[in-house]
Amino acid sequence: MKKYIFLLAAAVVSCNNDFLQEDPLILSSESVLVSKQGFDNYMTALHYGARDELSKYDYLRWYMNLQIGTDVINNGEKATPNFKNWVTFLTPVTACVQDYWHWAYSDMLPRANSIIVYANKSENEKIWSSNAEKNAYIAEASFFRAYVHNMLANLYGGVPIVDTVYTGPKTDFIRNTRKEVYELARKDLEFASQWLPETVPANREGRIVKAAADHLLTEVYISLEEYDKAIESAGRIINSGLYKLMTQRFGKYLNEPGDFYSDMFRTGNHNRSSGNLESIYVWQFEDQIPGGYSTTFTGGNPLLRYWVPFYVNVRDPDNKPGMVVVDSLGRGVGLCRPTNYFLYNLWEGNWDNDIRNSQYNIRRTYYYTNPASAYYRKKVEPAHIAKQDTFQMIYPTIRKVEGAIGWLGRDNPVRSGLTSSDFTVFRLAETYLLRAEAYLKKGDLSKAAEDINTIRSRANATPVLPENVTLDYILDERARELISEEPRHRTLVRTGKLVERVRKYAMLPETKSTIQNHHELWPIPQVAIDANISLRLEQNPGY
Amino acid sequence: MLLVLPASFQDVLAAGMRPDRTIRGKVRDAANSEPLPGVNVLLKGTARGTTTDASGAFDLAIPDANNTLVFSFVGYVSQEVEISSQNSLEINLHVDQKALDEVIVVGYGSQSKRNVTGSISKIDMKQTENLPNTNVTQALRGRVAGVQFTDNGRPGQNGSILIRGPRSLSAGNTPLIVLDGIFFNGSLAEINPNDIESMEILKDASAAAIYGARAANGVILITSKKGATEKPTIRFNAFAGIADRSYKVRLLTPERYLERKRDYNKSAGLPYEQVSNLLHPSEYANYQAGKIVDHWEVVSQNSSIQSYDVSISGATNRTNYLLSTSMVKEKGLYLNDNMNRISIRANIENKITDWLTVGLNSMYSRRDYSGLEPVQQSNIGPYAMPYHEDGEPTLNLLPEDQTHQSNPVRRSILTKNEEIWNNLFTNFHALIKVPGIDGLTYRMNYAPNIRWRHNYNFTRQDKHIGANTTAADKFMQQDFDWVLENIVTYSKQFNNDHFLDVTLLYGRNHTQWESTTANATELSSEVLGWHNLGLGSVLTNSSASAVTDGMSSMARLNYHFKNKYLLTLTARRDGSSVFASSNKYATFPSASVAWILSDEAFLSPVEQINLLKLRLSYGAVGNQAISPYQSLGRSSMNRYVFGDGGTSSVGIYPSGMGNANLKWETSYTANLALDFEILKNRIGGTFELYNIRTNDLLVWRALPQMTGVSGVWTNIGATGNKGIELSLNTINLRQEAFEWSTNFVFSRNKNRIISLYGPNTEGLEEDDLGNRWFIGQPINVAYDYVFDGIYQEGDDIPTNSRAGWVKLKDLDGNGVIEPTGDRTIVGQTEQPNYRWGITNNFRYKNLNLSVFVNAMQGWTQSIDLDPGIHTHRNYNRVDDGWWTPENKSASSPSVTYLNPLGHAYYRSRDFVRLQDVAISYDFTDLAKQKLKIAGLRLYVSGKNLYTLTKWPGADPESGANQNGIPASRTLTAGLNLTF
Repeated sequence: MKKYIFLLAAAVVSCNNDFLQEDPLILSSESVLVSKQGFDNYMTALHYGARDELSKYDYLRWYMNLQIGTDVINNGEKATPNFKNWVTFLTPVTACVQDYWHWAYSDMLPRANSIIVYANKSENEKIWSSNAEKNAYIAEASFFRAYVHNMLANLYGGVPIVDTVYTGPKTDFIRNTRKEVYELARKDLEFASQWLPETVPANREGRIVKAAADHLLTEVYISLEEYDKAIESAGRIINSGLYKLMTQRFGKYLNEPGDFYSDMFRTGNHNRSSGNLESIYVWQFEDQIPGGYSTTFTGGNPLLRYWVPFYVNVRDPDNKPGMVVVDSLGRGVGLCRPTNYFLYNLWEGNWDNDIRNSQYNIRRTYYYTNPASAYYRKKVEPAHIAKQDTFQMIYPTIRKVEGAIGWLGRDNPVRSGLTSSDFTVFRLAETYLLRAEAYLKKGDLSKAAEDINTIRSRANATPVLPENVTLDYILDERARELISEEPRHRTLVRTGKLVERVRKYAMLPETKSTIQNHHELWPIPQVAIDANISLRLEQNPGY
Repeated sequence: MLLVLPASFQDVLAAGMRPDRTIRGKVRDAANSEPLPGVNVLLKGTARGTTTDASGAFDLAIPDANNTLVFSFVGYVSQEVEISSQNSLEINLHVDQKALDEVIVVGYGSQSKRNVTGSISKIDMKQTENLPNTNVTQALRGRVAGVQFTDNGRPGQNGSILIRGPRSLSAGNTPLIVLDGIFFNGSLAEINPNDIESMEILKDASAAAIYGARAANGVILITSKKGATEKPTIRFNAFAGIADRSYKVRLLTPERYLERKRDYNKSAGLPYEQVSNLLHPSEYANYQAGKIVDHWEVVSQNSSIQSYDVSISGATNRTNYLLSTSMVKEKGLYLNDNMNRISIRANIENKITDWLTVGLNSMYSRRDYSGLEPVQQSNIGPYAMPYHEDGEPTLNLLPEDQTHQSNPVRRSILTKNEEIWNNLFTNFHALIKVPGIDGLTYRMNYAPNIRWRHNYNFTRQDKHIGANTTAADKFMQQDFDWVLENIVTYSKQFNNDHFLDVTLLYGRNHTQWESTTANATELSSEVLGWHNLGLGSVLTNSSASAVTDGMSSMARLNYHFKNKYLLTLTARRDGSSVFASSNKYATFPSASVAWILSDEAFLSPVEQINLLKLRLSYGAVGNQAISPYQSLGRSSMNRYVFGDGGTSSVGIYPSGMGNANLKWETSYTANLALDFEILKNRIGGTFELYNIRTNDLLVWRALPQMTGVSGVWTNIGATGNKGIELSLNTINLRQEAFEWSTNFVFSRNKNRIISLYGPNTEGLEEDDLGNRWFIGQPINVAYDYVFDGIYQEGDDIPTNSRAGWVKLKDLDGNGVIEPTGDRTIVGQTEQPNYRWGITNNFRYKNLNLSVFVNAMQGWTQSIDLDPGIHTHRNYNRVDDGWWTPENKSASSPSVTYLNPLGHAYYRSRDFVRLQDVAISYDFTDLAKQKLKIAGLRLYVSGKNLYTLTKWPGADPESGANQNGIPASRTLTAGLNLTF
């Protein structure tokens, strides 16, 4: 017995030490990025991150901040501070300032850079059937790297460029100039434009095509003041023959009331395969399937929630609840309230003829929806709501945001603000408006007017005369065409018009009076400055 | 408590031996002639025996021949008496001076307390047996110098334990738990406190270094009970009690709730004259109907506690055994926060031959935490509606205000939950006394530990929602760990002067776990609950696992010279798979010496001094408390669907930065201590000083977001912990019938960061602002702007501020409040400057009163006291007041305050708490005479009866804020019964 035990002990002692080497039961870039499947997995996660720009978080810290406080959109909620008083709201510790920075640097860039760095590794050479195949992966990742850098430069000005994967701590980042950041985006997009496919099959829709790179490249060229190149890259899309502005009804809802403009925003009509030949880049949302939404409960398309008024609070003339949530309207909470400048002034002269102001595209009439109300199904008259909150609870709705309310909404009216509609990030109409901007900057007003009028005549609006084309006019036209699609705040920052137009068109006197010149850029998040301990990351002036 | 078995039972024991005659006698203490009850009386060479009764008397049937009786009793020298023809005996037992010393478990062995050279605190569980403790950790709370145990107020939860302050910036600070000699990876909540004999806390490196790489945060050795008496001892303990919160957070009353909204509307230019202007319509309806809800009432339940346990133990010639089972039912303060525990223990040791003993210590525990607690701990406004009229939970507390306040108890009611944790922990051991070599033994431990648990949920249909709201999920995890150890010890006294004791260890350890999660939503049928997830329309699943391996070898040498100069040397070498390839191994040495001054010739004549011992130690211990695979880069998963009606694609993305140089963290501890017993042992105690330096800290170092990760596990710099500890036991008054004794513990720990990343180019150590780590400051500090009151009308108010807003100190005096220059360290968090606890024990005859007061002082914490948050919502707040033009507060801002710089509000967590009061009465005499049982004791006790504090949150000890759970104020009655 004794001998036996000692033998056992000896056997244990004499074991070699390989058992301390880990056989990792985890995923890593080293183990995944060794096959095309692995690169597809990383690409998928990159698209997931891109969609998060819209749906990563809910409410005050996220998406609404790219819209509100501008010339055309207000924060509808009186008791929340977002972009009301610019001085007290927009600081280096403001949530959206930190969160978008974090999303860019910690979600998007590591994913994009991992693909680019690993695809270029010599040991991975064997997995590519051709150079073109490899470059197509790099091109798609480069598109996102450019997208993020461009967005950072728009919002924060010069920021640290991150074009690699860090394998160890680094605390000495420096801010590149805004121009250097745009240059990196331009370089990436030029590469992307060269190697991306022109189209993708229906089961890969949402992936990046060549036109998406050219579209974004146009914006970047404008920021770099290279207007001829911008005109050229936009032209590549417009003249490709692949895209055209929609002028006929199409898609899944031909039997329902609507028009060709509203068709573009109905659930299931965003992707090219539905017949929508305007769409270039679309974030995909899908009901009842894992990955169809972000994992968080807010993961559906939240546009309806933000943009539709908080109408359930509307009282009938008996001062009883006049409204309940109904499927056709969903459940809005009135956080992105279009300004009266947008709702009324911008349509003057074209009120009845501009299709973008049709009843299918802006809902200006409401009916009481509460079956318990004596006014059920009766029209909500202006007199009824004269003393109610028309800032948040009832106002005309941009109908682009309406859509099918999916299973998220099944057990919670809060989630009835979330739809399974896809979201169009880039479409051809904007390409025209970007080219118009480039022509304007170049001084070619008639060409600028020509592009704007392509859009306006499609919408049945009266044409603009070349001598009336200004940057402000283009911004007005962008609002008419792209409201709720373009991130308005970024557009105003990019064009240098934020402060001027907020002072002019914001609805709240406090918003108008508190915006300062330095608000042209967001502050660098304090948390980034604090963490960069080896070098001082300079704050933007004024903060 | 012991007893004489009924005569008939004795006959059974003696069966097979024909009694010829009975011998009677009495056993006394040789020193004072007091009768000694419970002395074992054994007929040598047989299993026949008895024990003395309360008067020290015994009688025993013996064969009519020459016999030898053995009298043995713990703490006394055994005596053998040859019996010829006499029928009665008077025996005087002498106190065993060596045994007078407490025996201390030191890890891989035990020692007389007198000979211990390291810093070890022992907790005798007898001290707390009159307290309604269901978790062994509760016995630690405030009773041991240098140990901070924090109860989180929830049933079956562990709270946290910190020994001599935090060493590590972010690797675990939880001490190593060793149960009956084996690493215990389960939860302390699994252990039945009544199974436990003692707990020893190894505090300095010398004591803990034998556990090497796992010992940096100190070690808690838990020793379960063994059989002690020849006669089986049957014990039954029971207690039951009720509990309520020890503190109710002062939320806004309904009137103040309206007042706050009124003041907000007034200053925001909104209508405020009517109550209907202030409330949502449904709130207003409740206001008019006088329906008021109390936040606490909604989320809480009637709290109670019950515990029953029974044990049988004994020690015969060859076999020592303890069998026990226990049942605990705890209902916490919070709705559905319950635990039911069943535990079974079997400790059996059998001496097979003179040289071979085998045994096992085993434990099975099953904890049932079923039921979901409230998901969100928001403070519910007074006019909210948690229930529909039919009793179903509402979805939102107000139908109109749906974004912020979902009903916190909704899931508790709609979702059926089953959460069960099982633990089967066994240590098989064999002990060989090597024949022929006196003092040489070999011990082998093999300790497998299987733990398995599951968590199932089924959410039923909400009757007020038309859509299908059903969902179900199952989570299962299995852990399998094992420890294999070979231990050789050799111990020998060489003439009178030299004593040598050597311990050698070689061992391996292994942990592994795997888990599976499956979810289903929108089930086609409710009938099967979670039993068939296939009924769902959207199904998802995931699984995970991890494995770690380790090896250890250890050597310890104890040497005593003239029994008063004591030396201990230890070294341990550990290997762990969690570290980078090149850093798998590390060695941890230690040395300690002790000098028993009171045995020196110059002190031994001094009668007042019974013991004076000086101890000094220095050594190294390590910390490996990180998860596996942290030295490698890591990726995570998500999903995305391309195209309309497409399939789900798997996404993978980088989520963790690897570190190829990750290695052990090492703590070097110097410890100086004085143990003393004076005035005939009336005053005794220990005074200790220590200095710990921890190098190569294992830290979760937050990195700039631009690196793409939030942080990385790395080794950097050094921290220091310096402290003093005092334990004092005094017998203040001792008379025939009355005794008053006091136990006092005090400790102070000063923690600071010594170095982070090494000197910069100018030779200076730099702070890490990103991680809030500052050279020379404690690890946990609050770094913020300095509160300087409230701007009042007429003050010189900056343009972006206004009257009623918080005024912050312009530290650099540049006229602007900004992050650079105006933030500073405003206090120490997480750890108090000092702690003390005092137990007073009063005994009058059979009545005993024990009062324990616990205190921690010198710490602060932020708590959300911003009065202006969510003014428009159904959201209650701590009522800390607020500034209005009429009522100008100097401490709390107005409800319009936006806090643009994002500073926090700090409050002191200092407290003094009347933690335990217990009154017990010992009915042993009565029990023996009337009930014919060995012992009976009844007690009532109260826990957390009163707390002195200014902390506005639920509990200062745990730091629970306004949403947290306060400590329970428990009132219990119990009994201990011995047969």
